[in-house]
Amino acid sequence: MRFDEVVLTIMKAVDGQRTVSSPYHLIKGKKSGQTIQDIGYFGLHPFFAVLPKLDKQDYLSSIERLQAQGLLIPDENSVQLHRSAFDLEIPPTPLNGWKYRGNESRFFARLSLVVQTMSSFMQGHKRFDPVVTDETVQTWAKAYLKRIDFRSAGVQEAFKNQIETSLALAKTTEAHKGILMERLSGYGVSGLTWDQLAMKYDMLPIDVKIAAVEALHAWLEVLESMEYPMLAGMLEGIIQQSALTESAKRTQKLSERGFSLKQIAELRQLKTSTIEDHFVEMAMNDPAFSVSPFMDERLFESIHHISKELKSMRLRDIKERLPEASYFQIRLALAMRGGIT
Amino acid sequence: MNLEKLLYDAYGYTEFRPGQKQVIEQVLSGRDVLALLPTGMGKSLCYQLPGKALPGAVVIVSPLLSLMQDQVAQLKKMGEKSVIAINSFMKPEDREKAWNTLDAYKFIFVAPEMLVQPYVLGKLKALGISLLVADEAHCISQWGFDFRPDYLRIAEVLPKLGNPQTLALTATATDKVTDEIKHYLKLSDPFVYSHPMDRKNISYDIRKFETDHEKLEALMNLVAEYGGPGIIYAGTRRKSQELAERLLSLGIGAAFYHGGMEQQDRIFVQQQFANKELEWVCATNAFGMGVHIPDIRHVIHFQLPSSIEGYVQEVGRAGRDSLPSLATLLYAAGDERLVESLIMDDLPERHEIELIYERGEEAKQLIEQGMMRETAYRIISYWRERLPLEGTLNQIERLKIEKQRQVASVRGLVHSKGCIRQYISMSFDQENPGIPPNCCSFHGIDYSLFKGNRSELKASPHGSWKERLKVLLPI
Repeated sequence: MRFDEVVLTIMKAVDGQRTVSSPYHLIKGKKSGQTIQDIGYFGLHPFFAVLPKLDKQDYLSSIERLQAQGLLIPDENSVQLHRSAFDLEIPPTPLNGWKYRGNESRFFARLSLVVQTMSSFMQGHKRFDPVVTDETVQTWAKAYLKRIDFRSAGVQEAFKNQIETSLALAKTTEAHKGILMERLSGYGVSGLTWDQLAMKYDMLPIDVKIAAVEALHAWLEVLESMEYPMLAGMLEGIIQQSALTESAKRTQKLSERGFSLKQIAELRQLKTSTIEDHFVEMAMNDPAFSVSPFMDERLFESIHHISKELKSMRLRDIKERLPEASYFQIRLALAMRGGIT
Repeated sequence: MNLEKLLYDAYGYTEFRPGQKQVIEQVLSGRDVLALLPTGMGKSLCYQLPGKALPGAVVIVSPLLSLMQDQVAQLKKMGEKSVIAINSFMKPEDREKAWNTLDAYKFIFVAPEMLVQPYVLGKLKALGISLLVADEAHCISQWGFDFRPDYLRIAEVLPKLGNPQTLALTATATDKVTDEIKHYLKLSDPFVYSHPMDRKNISYDIRKFETDHEKLEALMNLVAEYGGPGIIYAGTRRKSQELAERLLSLGIGAAFYHGGMEQQDRIFVQQQFANKELEWVCATNAFGMGVHIPDIRHVIHFQLPSSIEGYVQEVGRAGRDSLPSLATLLYAAGDERLVESLIMDDLPERHEIELIYERGEEAKQLIEQGMMRETAYRIISYWRERLPLEGTLNQIERLKIEKQRQVASVRGLVHSKGCIRQYISMSFDQENPGIPPNCCSFHGIDYSLFKGNRSELKASPHGSWKERLKVLLPI
């Protein structure tokens, strides 16, 4: 997926309802209420925080390109896509930003240092300039290397094999895997800069960055199976076990044990509205979340139908047309993954 | 004490580089020392080795975060484990941990702005400092090209630390700056070691052209005829990119390097250069720190440097291995205009000064809004605490005169008729350096010495990711 396609996919979802800068905040991973809520409402989980260091200028260049191609109509208030934008075929993406939250770069920094260390030692060089200068990563890598006994040839071979077999399974193109490997350094071989990769593959630097993140996310998906223990060991603290806040987690536990919303509020001595927020959070994060305890299928469908018809995610607009639905029910229905479709 | 034995036991070296031993002896005898050592002459050993013999901690005040990180990395690479750097970019919990385990460290790097915090001072005082090192001490000079107001604060905290023995280190300083260092750091009867700055193995070449086009053509001819490894200082980020692209299109291994690139990419370019995967790095003056390559053969300036000090530092990256190296300065008529505006633009303007006096800390927000330059803010907020508005305005006026002198000395480098080596030495109040063979373009250079030694470049592998992995981990 090219960067422009990422932007376009987000814009398709929020067309007419959000500002032109809202995709920028989403891609950067801004943790504001609005951005977080939109992820659930519009089903934009894949793109959250995929480029935390995204430069405003790079984003504006993308906007200019989309406008020049006539896909995006200049408008000061909100995203206005041209009809042709909806006909464009956009390839599926392995991006899974909501899950990794930009932490994949920490995994890669660890990997970079571990690979460089092994590469150097393997070839008889114990002193080298570390390719990662972050002290936290250095400390982590040192402890990890010691733990796995990295000087042993058997360990080195197993490590390399685990990279090779797991990366082979990652659902992304060979070219993207190549880009990822070229961001690693070893003894006598240096990583390539984004600009060098862009020139080599005749791509925009920003597209190379997206390609690397795609490859990483696809790879991490494989590594999570835990069948590659040496690499799984590098995931420590990288994958959030639960996307929920602590308080919502407690609500979730009680709900799983069969307590109703009202009972949970009483048990926890919290306002019902707070517990409602927790359920909305759960609906946003858990693809298996069921709304059936809170509304019947007909009401759920009606809310989506009206939201689609009005092309609006605004609670008040929907409530006006559907007075029998409570605000909580509307929020819940909209928060379900892929809310708009 | 047998210093050679100490050196060997600690780091495995058998002999000192020029100047190191004199400086270390004086430091160990308890005297304040001011050492002027060119970059690459092993300045850090001057406090590292005493650290091995002294009972207490060595606190190194370092003005630049990147410099601090580089020195810590170098120390660690030499096998020194007892090193820590404390700066304001650390996570609060990490910093907290650092302060609480401080007595476990021998070498403590601190940013000058942290030194004034009472908490920090208390911790350092309790620690017992054997030696305070002011690295890049010329930054203390308000007339210098690198003035860091925070550095002046070292002077303010020295008494609170019980006036520890001090070692001031710098690579470049005129007599005037040397005096200022002595004054502000309150060095009492210091031993001054001044290494001759002249680098005999570097030939200075200056070539003048009428137009930019001719200058560019000259550069293209140079890179076609001369080999690397070399650095081309381009002046601006955009230019560094442009030049790298031109070289690449000629099939010459080159990359650009500037401060606008992300950290990882900058490290990659440094690595590639060190690994001989590149012949040239086209860079802004951000390139240099953290580059420890002994065999750089050629430094080309495609723009006039913004100060003689900067020029000497940049050129000094060539030929650390003492083999003949070439420094070429390419000049096109009118180039000094860009440099002049760069130098003078640095100066805070009247409206900025007034704004900072009016709003104090709040003026910081104006930096983000692009209404104020960071350097201006840094300098003026220092003076604001010490002088009334009029005084600061006067101060800046004097600074302006000094800057004009700086511009004049850069202009003189290209336009004065005579020995370039001598001109540079004179700018630093140093003695006449003599005329080595291939001294400079005034005295004549045998260019054939430098021509044609194009280094063997490693071909960049063009294979699958699996092949790449095999190269990274050949097992």
